[in-house]
Amino acid sequence: MPTSTVFWIATALVVIGQLMILRSTIRAMRGASSQRARRGIEWSYAIVPVIALSFVLAATWRAAERHDARTQVTGEVTR
Amino acid sequence: MTAPAAVPTMREPSLARDLIALTKPRIISLLLVTTLAPMFVAGSPSWATILWTGIGGYLMAGGANAVNMYLDSDIDNVMARTKLRPIPSGRMTARAVLAFGIAIATAATWLLAHYVNVLTSALALSGFYFYVFVYTRWLKRTTPQNIVLGGAAGAFPPLVGWAAVTGRVELASIYLFLIIFYWTPPHFWALALNKQRDYGHAGVPMAPNIWGEQETIDQMFWYSVLLLGLSVLPVTFGVFGTFYLIAALALGGVLVWGVWRVRSLAARGVPWTAAAWWVYGYSLLYLALLFVAMAIDRHSGLR
Repeated sequence: MPTSTVFWIATALVVIGQLMILRSTIRAMRGASSQRARRGIEWSYAIVPVIALSFVLAATWRAAERHDARTQVTGEVTR
Repeated sequence: MTAPAAVPTMREPSLARDLIALTKPRIISLLLVTTLAPMFVAGSPSWATILWTGIGGYLMAGGANAVNMYLDSDIDNVMARTKLRPIPSGRMTARAVLAFGIAIATAATWLLAHYVNVLTSALALSGFYFYVFVYTRWLKRTTPQNIVLGGAAGAFPPLVGWAAVTGRVELASIYLFLIIFYWTPPHFWALALNKQRDYGHAGVPMAPNIWGEQETIDQMFWYSVLLLGLSVLPVTFGVFGTFYLIAALALGGVLVWGVWRVRSLAARGVPWTAAAWWVYGYSLLYLALLFVAMAIDRHSGLR
């Protein structure tokens, strides 16, 4: 299976999982009848991993491209 | 004359046994797997590096656990799971536990800096501070997302192991960090679902007590789906090969199935506590086996 296919399938699982977690957290915060200020703090806790994860996914895409390029060069040299 | 009846033997508490108990050795055994396995992924460490990183890692995590027991001694007294610990049972004073925790964490900082490298020592100390101040002091008693962000504390060991071999923090080691970070919620909430009364008595706002069981189980499911995708991603930039890919898919698939089973039982109103205990136990095995698979993948011809 090509690397890019693995990347996009795995990324889809990660993105869907993270969006569903966010959705569930927002639903849970509404149900927990917390104060508005408290809700803001809870929201920030939920968003921190999303931001970190998006940076890691971007770095992964660049690293995967570099890896593919290296693999192609090695393949051409050995041919 | 009749033979004396067999009396069930209970281990006598001793200072040495209490000091070991303060470090939470059962938890640390998993932390050591997640410290040492990444060392074999990062390269071929010497026996001395493995030994000093293992000892330093144990002492640092043990120190954090002891300080945690000092800070949580008020609630440990309320919870059935923790009231036999050295402080609530009156076998050790809180001050002695704090001094022990700080002493072994200080020793770990010096050992790692002197015998491994400064980055390894700094990362291990960061894990200590994160666990003690961010998780225990700040998040644990204030938010149902305590173990979501607090999960970062338990995710430092792979960074420590990786830095011990390479002297750097790299994308691959960040992935190992994230795998533990995203593994923590389904693992801990499986326990919290079965210990709701305990956490409720202690006033710790765990997700099942605040959000409810259904919402917590729902999040556990999506966390395990996310974890499955995340564990596969390092394959795309060449850190791991086919052996690891198959192991990650199989181990992660079983975790998703286990949480899905809890979810479907709960949705049908069927008792799910046994299934949640299964997820708790399996998640421990999952993490250990996943990290072992990483090391095997790098050092065998199975790539």
